[in-house]
Amino acid sequence: MAQEYWRWPESSWTAQDIDWKKCKTVTAGVDVGTNSSQAVVMCDNQIFGYANLHTGPDYRETAEEDLSQALGKSKMKPKDIHYIVGTGWGSRNIPFAQKTADEITCHARGARFMFGPGVKTVVDLGAQTCKAIRLYSWDRIRDFQMNDKCADGFGRNIEVMADLLQVPIEEMGARSLAVEKDPEPVSTTCYTFANTEAIGLFREGYTESQVLAAYLFAIAWRLHGTIGRVQPEKEIAFTGGLAKNPGIVKRIEMAMGWTALTSAYDPMLAGAIGAAIIARESL
Amino acid sequence: MITAGIDVGIENVKVVILEDGKVIGRGTALSGGANRAKSVEKAYHDALKAAKIKPADVGKIVATGQGKGDVAFAADRVVEPVADARAARFLYPQATCVVDIGADQVRVMTLGEEDKIAEVVMNQKCAAGLGILLKSMARTLGMTLDAMSHLSSDGRAVVNDGCAVFAEMDVFSLLNRNVPREDIARAVAEVVAVRVNSILNDKIRPDKNNTVLVGGVSRNKAVVNALKKRSGISFIIPEQAEYAGALGAALIAAG
Repeated sequence: MAQEYWRWPESSWTAQDIDWKKCKTVTAGVDVGTNSSQAVVMCDNQIFGYANLHTGPDYRETAEEDLSQALGKSKMKPKDIHYIVGTGWGSRNIPFAQKTADEITCHARGARFMFGPGVKTVVDLGAQTCKAIRLYSWDRIRDFQMNDKCADGFGRNIEVMADLLQVPIEEMGARSLAVEKDPEPVSTTCYTFANTEAIGLFREGYTESQVLAAYLFAIAWRLHGTIGRVQPEKEIAFTGGLAKNPGIVKRIEMAMGWTALTSAYDPMLAGAIGAAIIARESL
Repeated sequence: MITAGIDVGIENVKVVILEDGKVIGRGTALSGGANRAKSVEKAYHDALKAAKIKPADVGKIVATGQGKGDVAFAADRVVEPVADARAARFLYPQATCVVDIGADQVRVMTLGEEDKIAEVVMNQKCAAGLGILLKSMARTLGMTLDAMSHLSSDGRAVVNDGCAVFAEMDVFSLLNRNVPREDIARAVAEVVAVRVNSILNDKIRPDKNNTVLVGGVSRNKAVVNALKKRSGISFIIPEQAEYAGALGAALIAAG
């Protein structure tokens, strides 16, 4: 089988050293997105396990697989979880969730857990949407903005582009930064134009890094516009799959003149963590 | 004389080796990316191997396709419609029209007197509803391109036929409503048919019986059936239809 450039690796992890039977609360959050899905199991205020998988065509199956991988080899069973909250595009297809919560709230709560209570602006860079959220210094949303309907240039399109340009998706950002100076951004980031556009640039003598830079610069610029609409504050954090693409994050940072907060957690988990926290509060 | 035709498409490189009007070898490789020249080389060598000949045995090489400039060792280059037309005429002398549906381009050519092309119509720059859409949707639906081709569904799902990005959002909505993926795949096939049919009727009214369909997308039966129904044309589809451009180039190399 030929190399698949667009597939980012799936991951899961389960704590070995948490005695969940002694914990007061055991909750879970499941975030079923259009492209990727996550489950996070929390014991009190600690993460017990998580899974981050590709979303299959059957959302219910994906949600179940998420939870079972987050529980891993531990003895915990889904019925041992006190409360489960579902979120994300496919939240209505998580049969075992007691309730659903909206993505904006989940990302905001998740980001506060991951980046600390100081975070004021959260930007979720997902597969189909970009959500810029501004927070008060307490757990409340002050304002939020989403991209207009078109999802061009977001995570899903980055996958298509990785495939078209035959660049492994995890390396795309780093390779795009290997230019001395960003070239002019491409006029459209739409993937239906991407390859014709790329061929043109290659013919003009652009290197692979320059082509990538021209694309990611254009995407970052578009995202920058969306973020600007919430009057962001400099305690900014990025979540979602594109947060793992330094070619985009670095360029947004440069455009804003700020450095984003960092976290030890996978930024794709933010929604599920937030859902698990909301589950705890729902008990 | 042995000649070679190399068709460097957006998605795939296709190579045909021709000896006195007979195809003796084919080769293909994924195109795309900064290493297109390498893909070309690989496809060419695979074709030589299949034909059991050495590079020196090839008298002339002609390149075509959107990446034809990347074939450094080609003696000549021809534009895609010319290669398509040549192949169609060679395969079916009675052909009056050729439709080539590729990854990001659809071309409709009517054939004139002798070797001439009377008219060419192409899609605008946007590739919505063409091969790239099918590939991307196959992934979203967790189906192979082959599975997307054999559909028994007669569901009523529809998705946007103007824009691939919007179409995909519609697909996500249908998945969320637990619509069977066969029904969604059928809706996607319909998108390709709508798109291509509108281009067919733009300017050219192709002959109902003597129109040849080539290009990678012609392998998708669901698309072809939908397109036949919409356009009323009973397309002639050659075997190995995705190699038509390369065959045309090899024929042109032979003179």
